[in-house]
Amino acid sequence: MRHEQIETNSGLMLLLILVVISIGGLVEIVPLFYINETVEDVKGAVRPYTPLELRGRDIYIREGCYLCHSQQIRPFRDEWLRYGHYSLAAESQYDHPFQWGSKRTGPDLARVGNKYSNQWQVQHLNAPRSVVPQSIMPNYPWLLQTDLDYSDIVGRMRALRWTGVPYSVTQAEYDANVKIFGKATADLLDINQAQDTLLKQARDREFDSNPVRLTEMDALVAYLQVLGTMVDFTQYDEGYFTKFR
Amino acid sequence: MSQSSALPAEQYNYSIVRRFTIMAMVWAVLGMCVGVYLASELAWPFLNFDIPQLTFGRLRPTHTTMVIFGFGGSALFATSYYIVQRTSQARLAFPWLAEFTFWGWTGGVALGVLSYVFGITQGREYAEFEWPLDIAITLVWVSYFAVYVETLRRRNQPHIYVANWFYLAFIVAVALLHIFNNLAVPVSLTKSYSLFAGVQDAMTQWWYGHNAVGFFLTAAFLGMMYYFVPKQAGRPVYSYRLSIIHFWALIFLYMWAGGHHLHWTSLPDWVSTLAATFSVILLMPSWGGMINGIMTLSGAWDKLRSDPVLLFLITSLSFYGMSTFEGPLMSLKSVNALSHYTDWTVGHVHSGALGWVALVSFGSFYHLIPRLWDRKMYSDTLIYVHFWLATIGIVLYITSLWVAGIGQGLMLRSFDDYGNLAYTFIETVEFMHTPYVWRALGGAFFVAGTLVMVYNMAMTIARRQAAAETQLSAQPAHA
Amino acid sequence: MFDWLMWFTRMDNSKPLALILFFGAFCGILIYVFADKRRAQRLESYKYIPLDDDNDRRQSEPRPAQLHSQSRKVMDNE
Repeated sequence: MRHEQIETNSGLMLLLILVVISIGGLVEIVPLFYINETVEDVKGAVRPYTPLELRGRDIYIREGCYLCHSQQIRPFRDEWLRYGHYSLAAESQYDHPFQWGSKRTGPDLARVGNKYSNQWQVQHLNAPRSVVPQSIMPNYPWLLQTDLDYSDIVGRMRALRWTGVPYSVTQAEYDANVKIFGKATADLLDINQAQDTLLKQARDREFDSNPVRLTEMDALVAYLQVLGTMVDFTQYDEGYFTKFR
Repeated sequence: MSQSSALPAEQYNYSIVRRFTIMAMVWAVLGMCVGVYLASELAWPFLNFDIPQLTFGRLRPTHTTMVIFGFGGSALFATSYYIVQRTSQARLAFPWLAEFTFWGWTGGVALGVLSYVFGITQGREYAEFEWPLDIAITLVWVSYFAVYVETLRRRNQPHIYVANWFYLAFIVAVALLHIFNNLAVPVSLTKSYSLFAGVQDAMTQWWYGHNAVGFFLTAAFLGMMYYFVPKQAGRPVYSYRLSIIHFWALIFLYMWAGGHHLHWTSLPDWVSTLAATFSVILLMPSWGGMINGIMTLSGAWDKLRSDPVLLFLITSLSFYGMSTFEGPLMSLKSVNALSHYTDWTVGHVHSGALGWVALVSFGSFYHLIPRLWDRKMYSDTLIYVHFWLATIGIVLYITSLWVAGIGQGLMLRSFDDYGNLAYTFIETVEFMHTPYVWRALGGAFFVAGTLVMVYNMAMTIARRQAAAETQLSAQPAHA
Repeated sequence: MFDWLMWFTRMDNSKPLALILFFGAFCGILIYVFADKRRAQRLESYKYIPLDDDNDRRQSEPRPAQLHSQSRKVMDNE
């Protein structure tokens, strides 16, 4: 075959281009969906986000936090000391979309959960330089001033359920969740009780220190406080996770 | 007037090229100004002003979208519509559809940019458009494809010239990437969740992200290079055979390299190793292309002394060579361990985006404008002024971010005598203040150059208009 | 006798196989493009396409004999 045949036939050229550009993506992406070792087995330790955490995550995405904060700890000594155990694929298996990030203008947040008190988080989000004078993070005062809109929480959870996140609608799905996550967690993942679950979590935990209002701050802090806390690494042998790499 | 003596402006559809050229410059000024503002926010955080719409997190996608899709996209539409007509010696097919691509693209980018500042985003870097805009853009892209391919099919020239291969690959690849990366389940008009999660989502996103660089910002602009460098130099490209190898190797290899954005993450090692390997191999076609472009001037280097437009084009190729060397270097796992998550990456992107993409576009526009508006450029001196402002800006920008990025990387991994971390994170933030100021200054230089170009271009067009009016009043009966 | 064919069926061997295939294709293209003198001349003649279209053509470099036909209506898959 002569190259001229390709050069003089736009259809043939298009076809060849399509073939040539498809190979790389096919080889690298498709197996990720089929190779079981891609996502570590953590025996149901990682659960989907509760309705309140989910709304918090939506706010995290809305404000573009991922543009300055990663959620992905690498297996290096300094990162271990600074942030903790390296991130597992299992820990972001319900993240639609993933928020690993690509730039650390601020520190990694993959395991920020429970590192600081709720009050610290609220104060820091509201005015970062009041707790860390050298910080270059913007203030987010409107989070405390805006009531959380949770009217469409059911729609949000249903959309995620459609992608494969185990939020339950039917009794069978609920039972399956009880089996994997236990009853307490299965209740949090039940779409039928979503609004009540959300209100209850906000009331019980008092994330923004203001019992009267349910604000966007409540949701965002709820999300931050759960990050990286689901897997209990003391439960696993030293080398357990390396076999998945 | 008989067909044979028709002026190019009548023979070809230039009006669509003119409009995209103007829009490209509008987006360039807007997008780069926002860029300088963002850079300043990092140096002086009070500039966020506690206004949600102005905070870094919401403004940053605005900047990237305006410069990549607004400026870069419009420049590609303009040049591809010009080149496909000129090298096919055929008028653009489906003029109404081409018209639609203009309004659709311009409107889509404008709406997208507005939606980000109001917090409507998919949260995927460089693919932040929410799903209704994604669908609209898909429609525009299919129309673009139709116009482009049909024009090729109507060509009066048996061969499809190299530049068009690159544009074709760009159109096909971007369609593929855009569709698969934006698969999502909608909740409402303004919110959706991506179909994939976690590690699969990450790989899909960076397959998209890296090839947005590979095809949008590289392959297509190489198409530009393959036409405008030979045209401006008045001599054919160095080696046609090299361009055959360059083309097929580049489009094949680029698609493998996305995983290098995810080194040392939860992505399985085999993928990132494969991606790193291909990234290193990618150096060869990249440099093959650069050599092909620069060597076009072989034996006529003196033209660089007298032609500021060639200066733009050749300098852009040098920056292309530099950043395609830096890229494979940073894709090595050991280097990436230091460079990733730091400003070195940001500097690298800008040496490509400002040095290569923007300079080659400006050079091509300086070639195009006199032909589109049938007037010599208003001032050659101002082209030189633009060139030096831009070059100084880029150099300031990338050197300050080398300091910031490598400095931060080294600080983060240093330990004291007792094996404890030597620096806290915030100490590295403090350290980066000075480089951030210099970076903002570099950006400001670059914007200043762009403004000089806008002035030069506006004066060129204004003079043409004035000339047309005098001509009209002198010969009212001209038909 | 045909046992060696089984080598291709094992997934472990997909990497060397792919390497051989891709590298073979690459070498094939290299040889095709650069080896033959006449073919080289023919291919190089196409690089003048962008310089042919100019009504405002400036003085361009002298060129070898034109091998491709100019300005003739051609359809795809001709």
